[in-house]
Amino acid sequence: MLRPTTLAMILAGGRVDELNALTYYRPKSAVPFGGFGRVIDFALSNLMNSGIEQVAILSQYRSYSLINHIGTGAAWDMIGRYRRISVLPPFLGTEATDWYRGSADAVFKNLDFVEYHRPEEILILSGDHIYKMDYQEMINYHHEKDADLTIAFIKVSREEASRFGVAVINDEDGERGGKIEGYWEKPEEPSSDWVSLTVMCFRPEVLYKALRQNQQEHSFEFGKDIIPMLVEEGYRVYGYKFCGYWGYTRTVEEYWQSNMDLLGEQPAIDMEKWGLRTNLEHRGIRDFQPAHMGQAARISNSLIYNGCVIDGEVTNSIIFPGVIVRKGTVIENSVLFFNNDIGEHCRLNKVVADVNNTYESNVVIGAEPGSTAHKVTVIGWNNRIPLQTRIEEGATVYPNLPQTKWPAIVKYGEVLR
Amino acid sequence: MSRFKDALVLLLAGGVGSRLNILVKRRAKPAVPFAGIYRIIDFSLSNVMNSGLSKVGVLTQYKPLSLMSHIGNGEAWDLTGRSRGVKILPPRTGETESDWYKGTADAVRRNLDFLTDNPAREVIILSGDHIYQMDFDAMLEYHRSKKADVTVGMMVVPKSQIHQFGAGIIDNRNRIIGWEEKPKEPKTNLASMGIYVFDYQYLMACLMRDKNDLDFGMHILPNGIANDNVFAYPFYGYWRDVGTIQAYWEANMDVISPESGISPQKWQIRTNVEAEGRPADRAPTRFGTQTMVKGSLISAGSDIRGTVINSVLSPGVVVEEGATVRDSILLTDCVVKKDSVVDLSILDKRVTVGTGSTIGAGDGHDTVNIVAPSHLYSGITLIGKGARIPEGVSIGRNCVVDTKVDEGQFQGSSLADGESILLAEK
Repeated sequence: MLRPTTLAMILAGGRVDELNALTYYRPKSAVPFGGFGRVIDFALSNLMNSGIEQVAILSQYRSYSLINHIGTGAAWDMIGRYRRISVLPPFLGTEATDWYRGSADAVFKNLDFVEYHRPEEILILSGDHIYKMDYQEMINYHHEKDADLTIAFIKVSREEASRFGVAVINDEDGERGGKIEGYWEKPEEPSSDWVSLTVMCFRPEVLYKALRQNQQEHSFEFGKDIIPMLVEEGYRVYGYKFCGYWGYTRTVEEYWQSNMDLLGEQPAIDMEKWGLRTNLEHRGIRDFQPAHMGQAARISNSLIYNGCVIDGEVTNSIIFPGVIVRKGTVIENSVLFFNNDIGEHCRLNKVVADVNNTYESNVVIGAEPGSTAHKVTVIGWNNRIPLQTRIEEGATVYPNLPQTKWPAIVKYGEVLR
Repeated sequence: MSRFKDALVLLLAGGVGSRLNILVKRRAKPAVPFAGIYRIIDFSLSNVMNSGLSKVGVLTQYKPLSLMSHIGNGEAWDLTGRSRGVKILPPRTGETESDWYKGTADAVRRNLDFLTDNPAREVIILSGDHIYQMDFDAMLEYHRSKKADVTVGMMVVPKSQIHQFGAGIIDNRNRIIGWEEKPKEPKTNLASMGIYVFDYQYLMACLMRDKNDLDFGMHILPNGIANDNVFAYPFYGYWRDVGTIQAYWEANMDVISPESGISPQKWQIRTNVEAEGRPADRAPTRFGTQTMVKGSLISAGSDIRGTVINSVLSPGVVVEEGATVRDSILLTDCVVKKDSVVDLSILDKRVTVGTGSTIGAGDGHDTVNIVAPSHLYSGITLIGKGARIPEGVSIGRNCVVDTKVDEGQFQGSSLADGESILLAEK
């Protein structure tokens, strides 16, 4: 077998404040997603399906959950002579600059690792997004254009564009892409509706030079610093146009919506047909028996994994392994992570609930019975919600609350900590 | 870690299990899928793992391929490591005798070198054919406390069933003082579960004594009971020999009802999640908007748009709009197309049921299968691996449709109760 030429580096360090209670104990890339996996499974499965099997993960914030999830890499077939996932946590430098100061700094601090692999192209991508993409097509385009840097872009509405990296791409290759004529990170007035997916393919020498040069500055981000610098200095920077689904999960509402996009007659991504991979050893999900549907079960438009016991009603929801839904309970428009144990006659409407929560009977979360919630309610992990507690919509419940903290009603939008 | 980890386990997994009909056409009985995601042998192997035992030899014989790939390197049952391991022991060509095992004791005797290479204090001999949970560590402790030469796992079964088993008569210390192998008129209702703990030296001596002692139940045990210390180890839990279509169907249905006492997950039964050498990942099951699902086990990767009642579905089963699956067992990747009905049937892997067809039609439950009346007599219809049932046909009760039968091999639009479509062996 030939030595592989591509080295992929996944940026998976960020906590992302807006996800709040869900990222209290884990980085965003390790947040559960889609009924059995984690957010990073999408990037890893994309790599596997693109035949890129030499992967490094740059992690920083609470890496344990992520390292645990990656395991040996065997889940993505990345174990073998040239197949490997290396997790690269920050380390103490000779000077006191221990933590990664930004995405570009994280790669810079691991340049010895990168150079050791002698790659012909370096793919740098975010581990935080939900999408299905063949990176090989982009790499091919990168080589066709003899580019120094090729970045994937997707079209969004002009109003949304200001939240992302925005580029003006010339129409050199029409639908496929073109040369980048200007790049702005989160501009107030975007001059284009093509935004960056944070999927970048670098010519190695250019990356090394840019990172070393960047060390003189005070900010160390690919989007804010490296890309604009290379565009300005006249390097061959190309935009590759991606037209598939892109699930963005920065806020809780977006995270919820990206999950909901997996439901319905035309799911944004059909994970089963695509063959999304996750690590079945993580949380022992391989040891769950098939889902058990009781005599009172009613299920509509939902995704449910092994290990669930359903004897209530589940509609428009995503149910992770080991969730128990008891008689008389109604779950609607919700995403329930691993091992939520829901008592009888509860009602959960538009809830995102982290792992290991227990709900005593008659708990009502979200909208009033009979109406539909507009805002997502978030329940942090390892809580026991007392009998008949009412949690109004838009509330956030922090992880690990002691029993004495619970009021009878958690009010609309309240943060219980 | 077990205090008794120096016991060696021999798992007898060579049985044909021919009463399982076409379910064992291409695989040995221990490799037959069970309860959605498991295979029968997972129960024995997981019991071994959960008892802290770590050295296992698996004696195979009949169609061992799918069994061997399922066991793999034993990693699924934590059987890899410096002193842990699982060895597949296939039959070997002897110098003069015919090559196939002539009985359980003969099978062990012909692997005497494996025993010699792995000295232990005891040898636990198990069958890979049964659905149960048992702590062999406790049984070993019992064996030692009784200072037994052999300890036999035994349980009470209805008198009507005792003719299928070895039956023992015990004294008030649980010492076995009488033995009948498959008695027609039983004197006892205590049946052997085919689980033996042998003192290592005693077993070696038994095996070397007389080459004509071919079977444990027929020869070795009666001999030991007459001359040595053989004890019964009483077992009181759920235990089934799923060796018949009826028993296989019933045990699968038991997994659906919590009160039956069988729970693979609580028993910590593990299976090998790799298939064809790769992790057999499946996404969560997708339920459509018009579904009705009740009293069923549904494995991941399925796509349910129709009705599923009182059934066990393996991974990747598709039930389209308007289709109904009732009282049935569907193995991996079966497709039940629009408006079709599957009733009281077992569908092996990758069966396709064409639009508007019925498997298990009518009330002819009492019309036994003509070719195999002792296999199919209660109304269960059996469809072989990869068979393709055309659109708009009706298949009756107690029918068999062979492996890989395709649309072209159907004649007419119905198959009467008790009829079969069998292909000639190539």
